[in-house]
Amino acid sequence: MNHMETPALQPIVPAYHVEILTADQRAQLQAATLKILEDVGVHCPSEKALQIYAEHGARVDFSRHIVRLDPELTLGAMSYAPRFYTMGARHPDFDLRLDGKALYCATDGCGVETIDLSTRRRRPSIKEDVAMGARLADNLPEIGFYWPIVSAQDHRSTAPLHELEASFNNTVKHIQSETVMGEPSARYAIEMARVIAGDERSLRGRPPLSLLVCCIAPLAQDKEGMESALAFAEAGLPVGFMSMANAASTAPATLAGALVTGDAEIVAAMVLIQMAYPGAPVFHSLLPGIMHPHTGAYLGSAWEGTILYAIGVELAHLWGVPTLAGIFGTDALAPGWQSAGDAASSLLLIALAGAETGSGLGLLESCTLFYPEEMLLDADIYQRVRYEAAGLDTSQEALALDVIQAVGPRGHFLRHPHTRTYLRQRAFSNLSGQPAPGGDYQDPADVARIKAEWICANHRPLPLEASQQAELKKILDAADKELGSSHSSSLDRRGVD
Amino acid sequence: MEESLGTVERPPIEPLRTDYHLEFLTSEQLNLVQQATLTILETVGVRFPSEKALAIFAEHGAQVDWTTQVVKIPPDLVWKALATAPRYFTLGARDPALDLRLEEGVTYFTTDGCGVETVDFETGQRRNSRKADVALMAHLSDYLSSVAFYWPMVSAQDFGLTAPLHELEASWNHTVKHVQSETIMGEVPARYALEMSTVIAGTREELRQRPPFSLVVCTIAPLVQDKDGIEGALVLAKAGIPVGFLAMPTLGTTAPATLAGAFAQGDAEIISAAVLMQLAAPGAPVFHSMMHAWADPRTGGYVSYPLDSRSRFAPVETAHHWGLPSLGGAYGTDSQRVGDWQSAAEVALDAFMVALAGAEFATGIGLANTYTLLYPEQIILDDDLYQRARYYMSRVDVCPETLAVDTIRNVGPGGHFLGQKHTRQHMRNSLKRAVTHQLNEANQYQDPHTYARERVSWILENHHPEPLDPAQQKELSRLLAEAGREIR
Repeated sequence: MNHMETPALQPIVPAYHVEILTADQRAQLQAATLKILEDVGVHCPSEKALQIYAEHGARVDFSRHIVRLDPELTLGAMSYAPRFYTMGARHPDFDLRLDGKALYCATDGCGVETIDLSTRRRRPSIKEDVAMGARLADNLPEIGFYWPIVSAQDHRSTAPLHELEASFNNTVKHIQSETVMGEPSARYAIEMARVIAGDERSLRGRPPLSLLVCCIAPLAQDKEGMESALAFAEAGLPVGFMSMANAASTAPATLAGALVTGDAEIVAAMVLIQMAYPGAPVFHSLLPGIMHPHTGAYLGSAWEGTILYAIGVELAHLWGVPTLAGIFGTDALAPGWQSAGDAASSLLLIALAGAETGSGLGLLESCTLFYPEEMLLDADIYQRVRYEAAGLDTSQEALALDVIQAVGPRGHFLRHPHTRTYLRQRAFSNLSGQPAPGGDYQDPADVARIKAEWICANHRPLPLEASQQAELKKILDAADKELGSSHSSSLDRRGVD
Repeated sequence: MEESLGTVERPPIEPLRTDYHLEFLTSEQLNLVQQATLTILETVGVRFPSEKALAIFAEHGAQVDWTTQVVKIPPDLVWKALATAPRYFTLGARDPALDLRLEEGVTYFTTDGCGVETVDFETGQRRNSRKADVALMAHLSDYLSSVAFYWPMVSAQDFGLTAPLHELEASWNHTVKHVQSETIMGEVPARYALEMSTVIAGTREELRQRPPFSLVVCTIAPLVQDKDGIEGALVLAKAGIPVGFLAMPTLGTTAPATLAGAFAQGDAEIISAAVLMQLAAPGAPVFHSMMHAWADPRTGGYVSYPLDSRSRFAPVETAHHWGLPSLGGAYGTDSQRVGDWQSAAEVALDAFMVALAGAEFATGIGLANTYTLLYPEQIILDDDLYQRARYYMSRVDVCPETLAVDTIRNVGPGGHFLGQKHTRQHMRNSLKRAVTHQLNEANQYQDPHTYARERVSWILENHHPEPLDPAQQKELSRLLAEAGREIR
C-alpha cells in the first residue's frame, strides 16, 4: 500500500501569556525546594546514582539510600541544563524545536485497556493498539509527538521495546517512552533510536526518542527509572522526570506544600543527570493531584487541580528547563461532557503559561483506557485552544471598511467577493456542526468514531526503510532473548472482555 | 452535597476575581477598530426606524435622512455623547446585600436567556417553554454562587404578547438578585417594566440609585436598530435604568467574513445606540455587548463556536476603549444534545477568557442548542466549569504554613502525610470537589449528569428565596393585569 503524507504539525503558538505566580512566590517555592533537598533529602535506591551524587559533593547516606543536596550544589548542577533543545523525529519536518514559543502535545500513554474499534468491546491493550494509536497520531496535525498510547501487554517484560518498534514503524513523529525502565532495556531502546537516527551526530542533535521517568512521592526515586535515565542521558537523549505528588496523602494537604514536594523530587533527579552528564537535555514535569478525601484517589481535575499543572510549568522555567505539562487526563469513563470539560480548560491555561510540551490526548478513565475517537475529540479541543490563543488580524483588508460601505445598513454580505475569499479561511470544527439528514447536526462523538475508523484503515505513514525495520527486529529478538520475554498468546485482539 | 434538609441560606455571590489580565488587542489595534467604527458611523450610517430616535439625532446635529431613516454621526458628536456615559455603575438587587457594583478586576455572571424550549425536569420531555420554567430557574439561580444576576432563561410563551412582563414577575418572585431582561421591547411594555421595577425598588429615586432591573437590546446586523428595542430603551434610560446594546454580527452573511470587520460593524451598531441614549439622557448607564457568530458555509446556519473562536472576547476591550462597561458573551453551546461532549468542549474556556478580558459582567450559563434549549441540569454543569475558571484565576497561597517544609521533614522520603496534624488541618480545604468527583453510596464516582439532577432537586427542596412582600406581589399582579388589557 502506498504511504500517505503526514500533515504538517500545528503547534499552539500563544499570542498572550499569563504569570500565575508572583516573583516573590516563585522565590519562596524555589527556596522551599532547596531547603527540602538540603535538610530532608531524597531516597534513591541505586548504588550507581548514589556514587554519582557522592562524587559530586552530595551528602549520601549509603545505608539508607538518602541523598541530601546543598543549595549551591543543586543550583550549580542545574546551571548546566539546557533551556532549549530539539526533540528530533524520523522525518526532519517533524522535529520539535523547544524554543519557548510553541506548545507541542503528545498523546497520552501507557493505558492498559482499549476499546476495540471493530468490536467496540473493551479488552486488555496489545502491541497492535500501539501501532494503531501511532497511525492516528501520525495523521493528526495536533499531535506533536507520540507516547506509546497503551502497554503492549502481549509482550510481557519487553513490552516497552515492542511499543517503541510499533511506534517507530507507524509514525514519523518523535517518540517519548514512559515505560523503558532499567539499564538493560534502556540500552536496547537507545540502539533502536540509533537505528532511526542513522548516526551518532543525528542521535544527539535530533534525538528521535526521549524518556519520561516517574518519581515516587514523597521524595523517592525508582532504581530502574534512574538507571534508565542515566543511560538515555549518556546517549544524549532527553530525559524528563514527572512527579505526581498527591496533596494530603503523599504530599502536604496545602497546594504550595504539594508543589514543593513534587518539585524537589524532580530537581533531585535532574541534578543527578547534570552531575553525570553536564548539559544533557532534561525536562521537568510536575503534575500534583489532590487526594479524594473519601477514596484516597489522585484527582487531577478537582476545581483547584488544573492550576497546579500550570504552576508546574512556571516552576520548570524557574529551574531553566523546558516542561512537559499535564493536560487532557480525565477521570471520565467515556467521551462526553466530563472528558471535554476536563480537557479544554487545562490546555488553555497551560498554553498561556508558556509550556513547551504537554501530554496527552486519547485516554479516558484516569489515563488507562484508550478510546480511539477520544483522540480526535481531544484534537478538536486542541484546535479551539490553538485559535483562541492566537492573535487577531486588524489589517485594512480584515477591517473591510469598503465592504461594509458597499453593503450598507440592511444588506447582506453573501455575494461580496470579500466574503467568498475569507469565509473559506474561517476554521470550523470537522466534528461538531456536521449536517445530518433531516437538518440537524450529527453527534460529534459519532463523527469522531467514523473518522478514527477511516484513519486507522487508510492512513499509512512513510514506512521505515526495510533495513531499519530488519535492524529493529533484530534488536527486539536480542532483547527478548536476554530479558526473557516471549509473546503472550493469551492476549490477542479478542482478549478478555 | 449538604446533608441538612429544610431551608438553607443562599451562599454569597462568587464573581470571577483576578489579578491577571490578557490584552487580546494591542492599543494600536484597538485604535484601528475604533477608527473604523467612527468611519462607518460617519460615512455609512445606521438605520433607526424610529421617528423619535431620528428627531433626537437631528436635534443634536447628526445627519438624518428621513426617507431611508439612516443616521450618519460625525466623530465629534460620538465623542461628545459618550463623554457623559458612566464607566461604572451599580446593578441593584431586591436584597441590597446582592447589589453588584461594577468595578475593575471583577466579572459577574448571569444565566443565559430567552430560550424557547425546555426539557421538562419532571417528564424529561422536550416542550415549548413557559412562565413556570422562568420561575424554576430563578429559584435555582438564587442559590447558585456563580449566578450574580438573572436573565429570565426562557420565554413565557404561555403569556403571549405580555410574556416579557410575566418573565419579570416570575423572576422577582423567585430570586432576590438583579434581573436583566432581553425581551422587553417597545415603549408601552417598557413603561410597565419601569413601573414593576419601581415597585421592587420602592421609589423612583431608589430605582435610579440601585436599579433592580436592566435591559439588553439586540441590534440588527448590518447596521440597523429595532424600532421597539430602541424606543423601549429610551424610556428606561431616561429613568436611570441601565440599558445595553448587543450586536450579533454573523461573519459571512450579516457581516464581513473577517473578524476585525465584523467587530467594527457590530461596534458601530452598539455605539450608535449608546450615543442616542446619551443624547436623550446624558449620564444614563449604558453598556456594550457583542456576540459575533459565523455562518456555516454549507448550511448558512448560525455557529457560535467554530474551531477558530479567537478573540472571542476582544469586544470587551473595544467596550473599554470607549469607556463603557462590557457584557461579555460566554456559554450557550451549539450542541443540540443535552450535556454531551460538545456542550462542554465549546464553553469550557469561556469563563476563564471573559474574566481575563476584564468584562464587568457576562452572560450566561444554562442553555444549549445556541441559546434556545433549557435543560435545568445544565446550569449545574455550566456552574462547575465556571468554578474551575474561578479557581484558576485565584492567587495561590504561598507562605511558610502552606509550604509545609517542617511537615515534609517529619514525613521524609517514602512516608505518607495522612497522620500529620498539618494534613488534618488543611485536608478539608484541599479538595474543591467538582461535579465529576461526587461519590454515590457505593463510594463510586457518580455520573455528572446524575449528580447535577440530584443537585437541582436538592436546591429546589432546600433553598427557599425570600418571598416578595405581599403588597409588592399584589402590585406586580395588578400591573400585569393592566398590561394584559393594554397590550393586545
